[in-house]
Amino acid sequence: MIAFIWSVIILTLIATIMISLYGISRRPNLVKKLIALTIFGDTANLLVVLLGYRLIYPVAPPILPSLSKEALQTFVKTAVDPLPQALVITAVVIGMAVNVLIAFAIVQIHRLYGTVDTRELSKKLIQVEGGEQ
Amino acid sequence: MKKLIPITIIILIIFGLAYVMSGKIEPQENVRALGKFYLENSYFGDYSAKSPEVVTAILWDYRGVDTLFETSVFFLAIIGSLTLFRLNKKQEKEAKERIEKVEELTLVIKTVTKVIVAMILAVSASIALHGHLTPGGGFQGGSALAVAPLLIIAAYSKYALEKQGLDKTRALILRSIGLIGIALIALLPLTKGGFIMQNQPIFPWLGGSLIFYNFFEYLAVGAGFTAVFLLLAIPEKVFKKILGVGE
Repeated sequence: MIAFIWSVIILTLIATIMISLYGISRRPNLVKKLIALTIFGDTANLLVVLLGYRLIYPVAPPILPSLSKEALQTFVKTAVDPLPQALVITAVVIGMAVNVLIAFAIVQIHRLYGTVDTRELSKKLIQVEGGEQ
Repeated sequence: MKKLIPITIIILIIFGLAYVMSGKIEPQENVRALGKFYLENSYFGDYSAKSPEVVTAILWDYRGVDTLFETSVFFLAIIGSLTLFRLNKKQEKEAKERIEKVEELTLVIKTVTKVIVAMILAVSASIALHGHLTPGGGFQGGSALAVAPLLIIAAYSKYALEKQGLDKTRALILRSIGLIGIALIALLPLTKGGFIMQNQPIFPWLGGSLIFYNFFEYLAVGAGFTAVFLLLAIPEKVFKKILGVGE
């Protein structure tokens, strides 16, 4: 049963990644592309955290409960892998900053061209380039 | 109804594959060798970082240079956002003036916001400053801190925030102080014969220099996002006038 739930979780995350990739590539609206991109990033982070999880009971966070050598023995037996967590901590905040940058670019595009639809945008860009020549 | 069919198909595929897979994969019960090394060495051991919080030890000591470059990516993303919305001095003054009176929100929302903002500030400071002992750290605390100005902008206005003295320039100065602090503390171990970004347990606190890294990262992330949110809160009308497009 546990193996079944474990594989359901992994497959659900992979399916979410595939759906968000579809959203990034196939939606014409830039805002919807950005939403799909945030879903993609968060799912990838969740997968990385899942890599370091341990399916045992009890499971502990990677923080030493007390500063003694005896505690270290049980700690190593129960604690989850700290490395993926350390990678994800930075990735979440960097992802948020990059998303803000993309959102700013989309807002600016909407102000300058009045649309966020990529099909109309490409037409308008061709017009602008043609006008300058 | 039309959307239900693909959703059912996806769910069926997931459960079917999971049923097939569940006999073949082993749920992971052990940490990898690298993770075990960090768990054993973070406080005791020969390659100790002298921090009971293993994640913080990895973040600012074992893989400190990694985090340093992540911070620089963050710096570049914020700088890119500011460059997209750049204003000269005259335009900046223009953006700070309230052009028209808008209807204010009710007293209930304003009072509740005041209380919640105070709580958010306390909680985010606690997350950041206890980062070397409990789950948390500069990145998480900074993200929590950035919610406070966002709430004020939503409940009052960006002008209320600027009237209290927190404008874009000050937020950028705070962020620069944070980044310079990180760089200086990263170079400090070199003067004592250590490696770059090595934790210095000589400091009076248990976490050594980790608490300073966390505090400066907290400042940098919180103030960086505040500057971006302040720019984002400039009314559309003012911005269109500055850009000279549309009416």
